[in-house]
Amino acid sequence: MKTPTALVHELIDAIGEAAVVWHDEDLLVYEYDGTIDRGNPDVIALPANTEDVASLIKIANKYDAPVTPRGAGTGLSGGALAAKGGVIIGMNRMRRILNIDVENKTALVQPGVVNLDLGAEAERYELAYAPDPSSQRACTIGGNIAENAGGPHTLAWGTTTNHVLALELVTADGEVQWIGHDTRDEPGYDLVGCVVGSEGTVGIVTQALVRLVPRPSAVRTMLAIYDSVRQASNAVSAVVASGIVPAALEMIDKMTIAAVEPVLNTGFPLDAEAVLLVEVDGPQSQVDAEGARVEGILNRFEPREVRSATDPIEREQLWAGRKGAIGALGQIMPNYYLLDGVVPRTKLPDVLDAVYEIAERYRLPVANMFHAGDGNLHPCLLFDEREPGATERVLDAGGEIMRVCVDAGGAITGEHGVGLEKRDYLPWIFSEADMDAMKALRAAFGPTENFNPCKIFPKGHGCGEAGHQHAQHQIAKFGPKAFV
Amino acid sequence: MASADIGAAGFAALFDDLETDSARLSRYTIDGLLPKAAATVHSLAEVARIQSIATDHDLAVIPIGGRTMLGLGMPPRRYDLALDLAGMNQIVDYEPNDFTITAQAGMTLADLQRHLATNGQFLPLDHPRFERATLGGICAVGRGGLRRNAFGGPRDWLIGMRMIKADGTPITGGGRVVKNVSGYDLPKLFAGSLGTLGVIVELTFKLRPQPASDQIVALNAPTFEAALAAAQSAAKAAPFLNGCVALSSEAAANAGALGASILHDQPALLLRANGLESAASEVLAQGLQAARAAGLDGPERTTSAIVETWQAVADLELQTSRQHIRLRLGVPPAQLIRAQQILSRQLPDASSWIAAADSGLLFLEVAAIDADVIKSLRNELGPLQGRLTVETAQPELKQAVNIWGPSGPGARLMHNIKEQFDPQGILNPGRFIDGI
Repeated sequence: MKTPTALVHELIDAIGEAAVVWHDEDLLVYEYDGTIDRGNPDVIALPANTEDVASLIKIANKYDAPVTPRGAGTGLSGGALAAKGGVIIGMNRMRRILNIDVENKTALVQPGVVNLDLGAEAERYELAYAPDPSSQRACTIGGNIAENAGGPHTLAWGTTTNHVLALELVTADGEVQWIGHDTRDEPGYDLVGCVVGSEGTVGIVTQALVRLVPRPSAVRTMLAIYDSVRQASNAVSAVVASGIVPAALEMIDKMTIAAVEPVLNTGFPLDAEAVLLVEVDGPQSQVDAEGARVEGILNRFEPREVRSATDPIEREQLWAGRKGAIGALGQIMPNYYLLDGVVPRTKLPDVLDAVYEIAERYRLPVANMFHAGDGNLHPCLLFDEREPGATERVLDAGGEIMRVCVDAGGAITGEHGVGLEKRDYLPWIFSEADMDAMKALRAAFGPTENFNPCKIFPKGHGCGEAGHQHAQHQIAKFGPKAFV
Repeated sequence: MASADIGAAGFAALFDDLETDSARLSRYTIDGLLPKAAATVHSLAEVARIQSIATDHDLAVIPIGGRTMLGLGMPPRRYDLALDLAGMNQIVDYEPNDFTITAQAGMTLADLQRHLATNGQFLPLDHPRFERATLGGICAVGRGGLRRNAFGGPRDWLIGMRMIKADGTPITGGGRVVKNVSGYDLPKLFAGSLGTLGVIVELTFKLRPQPASDQIVALNAPTFEAALAAAQSAAKAAPFLNGCVALSSEAAANAGALGASILHDQPALLLRANGLESAASEVLAQGLQAARAAGLDGPERTTSAIVETWQAVADLELQTSRQHIRLRLGVPPAQLIRAQQILSRQLPDASSWIAAADSGLLFLEVAAIDADVIKSLRNELGPLQGRLTVETAQPELKQAVNIWGPSGPGARLMHNIKEQFDPQGILNPGRFIDGI
């Protein structure tokens, strides 16, 4: 039996034995998130309230122990991994919806509230919480705020940052403060805008006041099946150019179809190359008119078939293939590496061609599913980590795909975050001076060096891991600043 | 060399093309203060050079765009150099099918909109005096306009930015893609920072397609209060309205003089909706029905001069009568009527009321006001989460009331940020919240 250290003792004194996890076998589940990296925390603390969070941070600081915040652990950039060990502060016990203000269309929530649960509660008042990442059944609002999460419906409504008004934040020095206002853009620096998307590197959000949006009175979902990705891409361009802003505009490719069809019985033909999903919402008359126009456009590009649904259950069936895609990929290979490149919309077809070429060259199956309207692509490289050298090959191919996105004028992550996984690629898009300015912002939040260390910025001390070494290899290959 | 030691000749030795003639410097007057010199810049490199010299000589610099909002803020603590960016007014990059555009900071919003309109696109920001207001200035002020509820503010449309730090270092934040979490969101930090952290030199926005149909309708009301009550009902009944504004008779008359003839110089409710024709009509009809149920029974007036009418109302924010004081209140929309009652009780002579009911914004103007009254108003509005700012006033009143109001719990972090980005305090010193 392991002996608790002084740090563990003090954490237990602060929040109780039941809320502190420190035995090796119990720590296992906290070593992972949705990426292929691993972290080894020394202890997990599960606070019940804001005061707990402040005490935990202060205790960790006393022992110079790194602190890593964690939500549901569904993240896709290694943001919730304890890269240098230390304390993981898990926010799962703080999961209450504290208030829904129907008149002002806001919700006050704790960070551990599951995204879909907030959506369901808002729905009771004919309201909606717009950001809807594909992991919304599990992921939490706190994690969404950390990563500035998006989702299929951010095309019309924007990402998390467009929907957060105010935050209760415990900064890296353990101080508690509210930032932001009940109304938008009131005087003062946009601290909320700085914290959203900061990947848990400046503090821990303990309460969030978020905007809700009116629930559209009508929704229509259309699904079109195409014989080539180019055709589907051209249809996307035509929809966007038509002046309509669809609520969602999504694409999945042949490999994804092959994965989802046997599991979810979506009725997609296995020899089709691409499936496009388009959703329009709003007042009934708008949905009728826009729906008809979108359907006309989809038909111009010679689809095999266009399906359409307005009934919630039928719409859910059309969405099943997209939302269940990642889970279904396990049918093909045991492991996947999901990328999150984002490019100017017009570059999407060329970048997709390059993605297929790279995957073929590395002999890796690739499934593509992406937010076509936003230029945000999620190539998913499939592999088996038990096969010697496979992980390395995947990381190399991933680096090359990110390079293609950057060269197309894009960025390395659209909605998953830089995290541990992509930090060595940040110099591809930002200069030293840019990153110094970001670090200056971070420093304003207190002693942040040990707060979620090894994330976002390259070159941390004691952060060596497989992904890091491979990134160095990639950088040597492509040059550190080809784009800057 | 400290700034106090530098005379006109000293400035001329530091920079080329410098304006030091006091008659011609008057256009840069802020709260009665003239700068010692003004530099009109045309490139990022010039801004960088000026900031580097200003840092070496500890010169206080105020970046200036279209000079429409120079009255906003506390009087500067010191003011050596006006940095005029209006000449940096070019499009840097525009691929219409990407629905993004990159432009220099000195470009006016009107010029940008004209450019975008040729491709059926627009940037959904309302700003007063948009023929003169520049993109850099609008983002430095960082506030949403009368359609804030529907469209948000500059921060919501900004996706990338280039800035020159106080010490002259050029930096970039964000990018040219509509979704991006690569690194911290520096554009959001700079939007709304009133030029206190760095000089904004280039901005990238995401864009919207112009709607197929854009419609407005006005209904007159017996009083401003009646118009406001109807506006609140309309906003509630028709959440997809993108504008829902109540005006008092003076505001309607002033807007009328600027071209909003459909208001008929009477208290009025003005609704706006867009989308496909049938959808915009449906939303407007929902709003109108609620307004009628709230007691407005006059004729509906409409016009095809939508942009001109709307802009006339938006411009009122900067049309304060001479010597008058303009106040701005931001409050959660459901508290707007109670907040208006508090204001009108304590300020019986207030006039030119404008309220964006769905956005929780209220503007009004008074001939005079005591610092004590402002304090008492802030006390009463605080529990409603209302924030009262004094938009235009004489420097003495500004000093007495603190135009921004109490700084709140985030002030410590804001000071830390200022210290990190401008440790010498040479950018816009003293004008922002809490003495920043």
